[in-house]
Amino acid sequence: MTKALISLFNVRQRYAGRTVLSVDRLDIAPGSIVGLAGPNGSGKSSLLRLLAFLESPASGTVTFEGVPATASPGPVHRKVTLLVQEPYLLRRSVFGNVAYGLKARGEADPTERVRHALEAVGLDPERFARRQWFELSGGEAQRVALAARLALRPRALLMDEPTASLDANSAALVRKAALSAREKFGTALVIASHDMAWLHAVSDHVLHLEHGCIVDTKTLKQKEE
Amino acid sequence: MDFLLQGFLQGFFLLLSGDPETYSAIWATVAASTMAMIASLTLGIPLGFLLGHKSFRGKKIVRTLVDTLLSFPTVVIGLLVYAFLTHRGPFGGAGLLFTLPAIAIGQTILGLPVIIAMTATAVEALDKRLPMTLITLGANSRQILWATVVEARFSIMLAAVSAYGRIVSEVGISMMVGGNIKWHTRTITTAISLETGKGEFAMGIALGMVLLTVALTVNIMASGLKRKAVK
Repeated sequence: MTKALISLFNVRQRYAGRTVLSVDRLDIAPGSIVGLAGPNGSGKSSLLRLLAFLESPASGTVTFEGVPATASPGPVHRKVTLLVQEPYLLRRSVFGNVAYGLKARGEADPTERVRHALEAVGLDPERFARRQWFELSGGEAQRVALAARLALRPRALLMDEPTASLDANSAALVRKAALSAREKFGTALVIASHDMAWLHAVSDHVLHLEHGCIVDTKTLKQKEE
Repeated sequence: MDFLLQGFLQGFFLLLSGDPETYSAIWATVAASTMAMIASLTLGIPLGFLLGHKSFRGKKIVRTLVDTLLSFPTVVIGLLVYAFLTHRGPFGGAGLLFTLPAIAIGQTILGLPVIIAMTATAVEALDKRLPMTLITLGANSRQILWATVVEARFSIMLAAVSAYGRIVSEVGISMMVGGNIKWHTRTITTAISLETGKGEFAMGIALGMVLLTVALTVNIMASGLKRKAVK
């Protein structure tokens, strides 16, 4: 059996005393694409932050390759990365943004990887690499942020509503880039989205969340019946 | 009004002919203000960063103190530095009174609150998503600290420009702890004050033009940095 990349064991997350997430067991397999669906406030973003090791759970354990990890900056954050719905771009050029993570890892010349990452999200490196952060539209900024994460070739890429501010063409490009990351680098993807058609098209399987709990598809269908 | 026109013409002549006394005052100003800026930035940026970035007991009191020091009168700074550096004061043995380093010490006290307060405000105003973004891109704690300073760079540069504007135009500190000694500690502002008192307008106007040019440059830089800082 393949060892899980990220696992949650009896995890509960609480904000201001209110339980927002309750997951007994969840395994993300290497190279898998897992979709997260559910209404606003169902716990999708909280789950992504836990999977990205940006928060520690109120109780329970989150492991990376079987080893518990914390939310303090550490080696696990060089293997798992998160793209939020409204990403923050650093106050530098597009090249500087995409190259930042690579330089943080000691990459001396990230030019080629930056080029490939920009091309993967449909941005022409010749036109975009020198643009400043304030010269981009919302959709372009979203794709630059995705390129910055794809360039890292992470073991796990977590995305929160990656197509929310994109047109149909750009959404298709993001899907292609996500699938390419899995094929080329074995990246596991966990994607939260309200766009069910897009989510089903890109994911191996989709987990449904309601009130902070994972409700599997079968149960939902049974409920509908 | 002829004396003013004549003063302007003579002022231009002094600057263009490289008059040694005029350029001695310019040099003294550049030397003292450069020393003061280096000290203010070296101390002020890390202190301002800590004040803006960290939470600690008494932070509000420290912040209020720093904000109060923004309007520290230059003559009071001059008085305090004089008291410490005079032969009866605790640092009298250092022999610094009536030297350019003495002026630089006073000007550092003048510029430091500006750098600390504006750096702290700049760090506090940074987007709350920045630390999370840096962690998700794999930055370690040291890289996060440095990237935070880099993100606030335009506001920190604005702080430096504002502090320089205050330092270069002060007269109280330079007069009290510098002593306005010709060829040694006579700065642009003390020279203007002295020459005007003597009814000699030419050098005052020449040095005034230098000071106005500095002020104009500082303002142009500040307005450009302000635009970049809010983007």
